[in-house]
Amino acid sequence: MRTQDLILGNPFYTGGSDVNEIVPEGGFGAVLSRAGVGKTAFVVQLALNSMLRGKNVLHISLGDSIEKVSLWYHEQFQRLSGECSIEERPKLWEEILPHRFIMTFKISKFNVPVLEERLTDLTAQNIFHPSIIIIDGFSFDNPEKQEFSELKALACKYKLQLWFTVHTHPDETIENSSGRLLQVLELFDVALELKPHGAEVHIIALKNPGLRAIDTKLRLDPSTMLIKNFE
Amino acid sequence: MNKNINKVRNIGISAHIDSGKTTLTERILFYTNRIHAIHDVKGKDGVGATMDSMELERERGITIASAATSCGWKGHEINIIDTPGHVDFTVEVERSLRVLDSAILVLCSVGGVQSQSITVDQQMKRYKVPCIAFINKCDRSGANPERVIKQLKAKLGHNAVAMQIPIGLENNFEGVIDLVSMKAIYFEGENGEAIRVSEIPGDLVADAKTGRDKLIDSASMCSDRLTEVILEDGEITESLLLEALRTGTLKREITPVFLGSAYKNKGIQPLLDGVTALLPNPTEVINMALDMDQDEKPVVLESRPDKSAVALAFKLEDGPYGQLTYIRVYQGTIERGATVINTRTGKKIKIGRVIRMHADQMEDIEEISAGYIGALFGVDCASGDTFVSPGTNISMTSMYIPEPVISLAITPKDNKAQINMSKALNRFIKEDPTFKSHVDEETNETIIEGMGELHLEIYIERMKREYNAEVSAGKPKVAYRETITRRADFNYTHKKQTGGSGQYGRVAGFLEPLSEGVFEFVNDIRGGVIPTQYIPACEKGFKECLKKGPKMEFPVTGIKVTINDGQFHSVDSSDMAFQAAARGAFKEAYFKANPVIHEPIMKVVVETPTEFQGAVMGILNQRRGIIVGSQDEGIMCAIEAQVPLAEMFGYSTVLRSSTQGQAQFTMEFLQYRQIPQSIADELAAEAAKKKRSAA
Repeated sequence: MRTQDLILGNPFYTGGSDVNEIVPEGGFGAVLSRAGVGKTAFVVQLALNSMLRGKNVLHISLGDSIEKVSLWYHEQFQRLSGECSIEERPKLWEEILPHRFIMTFKISKFNVPVLEERLTDLTAQNIFHPSIIIIDGFSFDNPEKQEFSELKALACKYKLQLWFTVHTHPDETIENSSGRLLQVLELFDVALELKPHGAEVHIIALKNPGLRAIDTKLRLDPSTMLIKNFE
Repeated sequence: MNKNINKVRNIGISAHIDSGKTTLTERILFYTNRIHAIHDVKGKDGVGATMDSMELERERGITIASAATSCGWKGHEINIIDTPGHVDFTVEVERSLRVLDSAILVLCSVGGVQSQSITVDQQMKRYKVPCIAFINKCDRSGANPERVIKQLKAKLGHNAVAMQIPIGLENNFEGVIDLVSMKAIYFEGENGEAIRVSEIPGDLVADAKTGRDKLIDSASMCSDRLTEVILEDGEITESLLLEALRTGTLKREITPVFLGSAYKNKGIQPLLDGVTALLPNPTEVINMALDMDQDEKPVVLESRPDKSAVALAFKLEDGPYGQLTYIRVYQGTIERGATVINTRTGKKIKIGRVIRMHADQMEDIEEISAGYIGALFGVDCASGDTFVSPGTNISMTSMYIPEPVISLAITPKDNKAQINMSKALNRFIKEDPTFKSHVDEETNETIIEGMGELHLEIYIERMKREYNAEVSAGKPKVAYRETITRRADFNYTHKKQTGGSGQYGRVAGFLEPLSEGVFEFVNDIRGGVIPTQYIPACEKGFKECLKKGPKMEFPVTGIKVTINDGQFHSVDSSDMAFQAAARGAFKEAYFKANPVIHEPIMKVVVETPTEFQGAVMGILNQRRGIIVGSQDEGIMCAIEAQVPLAEMFGYSTVLRSSTQGQAQFTMEFLQYRQIPQSIADELAAEAAKKKRSAA
């Protein structure tokens, strides 16, 4: 049961509940932090965790190449499986790979109709049916309600969970962001903030009280970019 | 040779097949007085176009090998490489673009932007080659240059701006209106050599004004000076407008579009003016190389003749006088009698004859300076080699060479053909880096690999014509492998007593999977239970088993053998006995180690217009491909997938037909991966059938 070992060893799986199960179908999750703290590392682990449990993840990167995103996954998988001393890693990697699909767009070319068109391409031909979509690099500088409503409709139609990475500006807090972050938070079912704290990165639940419990347990280890349970 | 480097242009002429680029080159050579008569491509007059120097090219009316030539136009030296049009020969186009500073993209005014135009454009983008476009065949029925300009914008994403508008079209195509000088240009005389410049016909004045406004508008985006003049309502001089257009062209922000009909001798001279006025000279192009002494640190080359020489061999040709090596000198000077070093081999080369090529005629020269293209005789090298002055250790950045996508076995008809085939293959491999050949150790067949069916077909044809080597071609094969997936013990005794001295040897130990590498042998024998002298024989015995796996007779890889026990006999043990014991031990343990078949998996990247993305993914999916992702780049997108090689045969044809020929793909080996059980069963059935028929 090597896959099971990895799932159980996954720090997301604390207290019997899983972070990505907290977002409902058609719901939105967000990971907020300033640049370079570990948003991508976090969502990639979230994705790997889902892939291990047989869920299909569509990773949309706005800016990075397929190669770079693939490398993120491969490295995080190596670290994750290394920590759990899993044998036959290559085989397991091959097994979970079909559960991932990467799409990259130039940020200016990405919009909901384009995404829907691509999703139809994938699902109509039975190529890939995602359960989770990760959108990395989406601009939240001027979040538009209309666009999010369309995304919400899409998420409901395809029964998807949508996770976003949200780039916050240095020293920006909910209080001093002139309402920008509040506006963002409003749209999400779950919002987690990655906050550097000395040599560690704390994971703080900004939204969803059910998640408050993980505040004290989970940390992002900056040396490996892996989420660890420090309990 | 023009000594003023600022007046040199190294250009390529790239286009879709049958867009008329060879005809265009022929006309350019005629108007620049390089040739004194015009011949048709299809060779109705039995002569053929000058640039189509190979017999086969003349017969088929296509250009296969690129030939270099140089000519002069209004004090400028223009070095031209005529590039092939068919997609299967893109390596020629790629190499040309690598050594050239700019290009003319030829488009058919009827066909517009065709599949090969897209391929060629991608290549130009890859090497950041500035270009101007020439819309040819404006005399043809259905000619519509305006539509082609729109396609240039929509399909290729070029900021295409018309430099001219046509005076009449189809049968009535008479000439062009130059929107820079605002003059009408007519091409008269027997071969269009007499240019008549006159005022714009009254009915076209309004169109010309609109066209000029658009031209100025686009050019102003690239020049602050021009914008200032426009804002101040000043006079826009020809030189100011051309300077702005040149700036935009060099940055690939603007693609100036010229019109004409090469076949009808119209529009060529203004195009040549455009080449000299808008395209870069060698000093305006940044060329990088790798400093081999500094861990391949990139260095910028200086296009100066007095620096140490750096030149790139970009094409080899086997001519009647021996091997001809086309070179581009990036820095310094390559002189007759000088000594240079081939960076790849480290060998010294004495430069013999230095020549300048004009299609298949040549002119002896003393030297080739930085920025120029020429050829050398009698130099032993491969395509892509770098020549440098002694004391320099620089290599040009390697050229992008796509991996072969197709392979097939060839068998010579007789002994004579066998000898000639070897000669031909040696030559082709040196000339064309995308063409490869090897002998299959198992079947002893000669396998050739290339970029497409036509690519290989042409080489088979060339073998026959140029080397008198008749060969028959077979079907391609995929290189499957066997490996084991778990540890298994062995304890095997080889014992034979059939009169005379006997054979005795016992080996014990285990097989286990090896994650990296083909084979590892570990001797863990203690206490001399197998004497040291027999250990190599044991290893040899195991190694022999790797050639043909017991499961399906595919080569075995990824296996580690450890021997830790055994027995010998003081009289009957021998090398042979221990080899046999090892073979027996291998067979004994192999099936217990759960052997599986692995197949080569290719990384396939398909570049396609976005509208065909769904279709392309569908095809990849049907071929057992795992689609890693899709990269959306506006008009085009790239789809990356991992597909078994066995499923890739015939893919190019399917891809072309399902994308109207607008997609292209590259393929490279990624890894070996276990085949699914259903495919393993199919292979087993096939092998059994073969065995039965052999029996």
